[in-house]
Amino acid sequence: MDVVILSIATLIGLYMAANIGANDLANAMGTSVGSGAITLKQAVLISIIANTLGAVLAGGYVTNTISKGLINPTLLAADPNKLMIGMLVALLSAGICVHLATLFGLPVSTTHAIVGAVVGFGIVSVGPGAVTWSKVLSIAASWVISPVAGAGIAGGMYFFAERRILSADDPERQSGRYAPFLIFIVFLVLILSLIFQGLKNLHLEIGFFWTILLTIPCAAAAGGFGRFWMRRQMHTGTHVRAEQAGYSSVDRIFAQLQVLTACYIAFAHGANDVANAIGPLAAIFAVVKSKSVALSVEVPFWMLFIGGIAVGGGLLAFGTRVMDTIGKNITEMTPIRGFCAQFGAATTILVCSRLGFPVSTTHVLVGSVVGVGIMRGMGTLDLRVLKNIGLSWIVTLPVTILLAMFLYKMLAIFLL
Amino acid sequence: MRLLLSSLFLKSPFEGLQRHADKAKECAQLFKEAAVCHVEGRCKDFDALTDQVARMESEADSIKRNIRNHLPRGILMPVDKFQFLQYLGEQDKVIDEVEAALYWLSFRPRGLPKEVAPDFLHLVDSVIPSIETLAELVRMAMDFFRSKSEDQRKKMKRLIQDIRQHEKEADLLEQELKGMVFRNIQDALVVFHTVRLVEIVGDIADHAQNASDRMRAMIAK
Repeated sequence: MDVVILSIATLIGLYMAANIGANDLANAMGTSVGSGAITLKQAVLISIIANTLGAVLAGGYVTNTISKGLINPTLLAADPNKLMIGMLVALLSAGICVHLATLFGLPVSTTHAIVGAVVGFGIVSVGPGAVTWSKVLSIAASWVISPVAGAGIAGGMYFFAERRILSADDPERQSGRYAPFLIFIVFLVLILSLIFQGLKNLHLEIGFFWTILLTIPCAAAAGGFGRFWMRRQMHTGTHVRAEQAGYSSVDRIFAQLQVLTACYIAFAHGANDVANAIGPLAAIFAVVKSKSVALSVEVPFWMLFIGGIAVGGGLLAFGTRVMDTIGKNITEMTPIRGFCAQFGAATTILVCSRLGFPVSTTHVLVGSVVGVGIMRGMGTLDLRVLKNIGLSWIVTLPVTILLAMFLYKMLAIFLL
Repeated sequence: MRLLLSSLFLKSPFEGLQRHADKAKECAQLFKEAAVCHVEGRCKDFDALTDQVARMESEADSIKRNIRNHLPRGILMPVDKFQFLQYLGEQDKVIDEVEAALYWLSFRPRGLPKEVAPDFLHLVDSVIPSIETLAELVRMAMDFFRSKSEDQRKKMKRLIQDIRQHEKEADLLEQELKGMVFRNIQDALVVFHTVRLVEIVGDIADHAQNASDRMRAMIAK
C-alpha cells in the first residue's frame, strides 16, 4: 500500500509542480517578457535552469517546513501511516484548490493552499495540539509581511534609480555608472543565499568569516564584469531587439540587467515554491523509506531536482500562454521598472526561503510592483486586486483546512 | 489561468487624455478657419465649421467622461489623480470656450466691426498656439511618466513657459481690443457682443494656461 500511496502522491505532486510552473513561475517571468528584456523562449530556458537550481540549492528549508515544520511529527510516531495518508490528503486538497483556482482564474496561492491543507490534516488526525501554531502564525504573518517587504525593497530601488539615474542630466552615463553596483547587490544576495542554503544541502557549511571573504569578492567580480560588459555595450552600440526599439538608452541597459533579475526571481521561485509540491512528497517518501516518522531525515537532493524539473515542465507545457498574455498586458512594465520589481520580489523570497517561510511568489511580486507604483514609477495600477488577494488569504486557508479534514476522514475509513 | 499580475495593470488614462488634447487641437484649427471666415464675411462655411466644432466638443466630452468613469477609487497613478482630473477639466474648458466663441460669433451674422476685426484675428492667432502646445505637452507627459527623464522634464517646462507667454500676449491683446471697442464703437449692443466675444477668446488662453499649470504640478519633483 505504501508504494501505491507514494505513486499517487508523486502524481499529484507532479501535477502541483506543473501547475506552479504554468501559473506562478509564468507570472514571475511574465514581468521580463512584458518589458521586452527577454523573449518568450529565453524566459522558458532561464526559468527551467534557474528554477531547478533554486530548488536544488536553496529549496531545502521551505520543504522541511512543509514536510515537518507545520505539524508535530512525534505525535504521529505511533502510526506513520497517518502521516503518509495525511500528506497525501494535503497534496490532494491543495491540488483540487489550485486546479479550481486555475480554472476560474482566482488569485489563490499554491503556498497558502498547501499550508492550509497540512494544518487541516494535522487537526483531524491528531487534534489541534498536533499543529505547531506558532509556526503557522509566523507563516501567516510572513504572507502579510513579505509583499510589504517586497514593496519596500522594490520601491526603494526605484526611488534610488529615479534619483540617481533617470533624473540625472546624463541618464545613460549614470546607468553605466550604477549598473555594476546593482549587479554587485544582486550577486551579493544570490551568493549569500547559495552559501546559507545551498552549501547546507551539500553538507558544506562554512563560518561567517569565510562567508564574507567569499561573498564580497565574488559579488565585486560580478559587478566588475558587469562594468566591463556595459562599457563594451555602450561603445559598440547596445544590441537592440525589435521589442526594445522604442526604449530609451537607459531602458536598453536595464533590459540587459533584467536578464539577471529574471534569473534571480526564477532561482528564488525554485527555492520557495517547489516545496509546495515536494514538501508533502518528501514526508511520504521518508515514511516509506524508514517505515517510521523520521525527524532528522533531510529532503533528498534528487527529489528537489525532480520538483524543479516538473515546475519547468509545467511552464514549458502550459505557462508560455500565461507568460505571453501577461507580457502583452503589462506593456507599462519598462525594463527599469521590471528590474526594481523583480529585484524586490526575489530578494524578499530568498530571505523568506532562508527563514523557512513558504510565501507566495506572485503575491510578493504584486507587492513589489505596487511598491514601485507608490513611488510613482508604474503606470496605472488597480489596487482593488489587493482586496482580492486579501480575500483569497481569508478564504483559501479555511477551505483547504476543511477540505483536507473531509478527505482525511474519508480516506481513513478505507485505509486506516 | 491565474493572471494575477496582469489584472493589476489598467489602461493608462493618458491615452484618453491625448485623444482629448488632439480633439482640442483640431477644434483650434477649425476655430481659426471659422473666425477668419466670419470676419471676412464672404464665407459660406461658417455654420458648417461651427457644427463641426460642436460635434468635436461632444466627442471630447465623451472622452472626458470615459476617462473619469475609468478612474475608480482604488487606483494608483504616476500622478496625483486629483491633479490629473483638474488638468482634464481645464483642457475640456478650452474646447468649451472655443465652441462658445463660435456660437457667440454666430449671434451676429453680419460680422465684426471693421475697426476691431484685424485685432480680433490677431487675438485668435495668439490663443491657437497655446491649444496646440497642450497636445504636444500631453504627448511629452506620456513619455516623461514612462522614462522620468530630466531632459524631457526640462522640455516640458519650456513648453509650459511658452503657454504662459502666449497667455500673457493674449491678455494684453484682449485689454487693447476692449479699449479699442469702447473708444470706437457707439452701439451698445455691438460693444457688449464684441467685448463678451473678446473675453471668451481670452478665456481660451486662460484655461490653456491653467491646464499647463496643472501639468507643471504633475511633473514637479
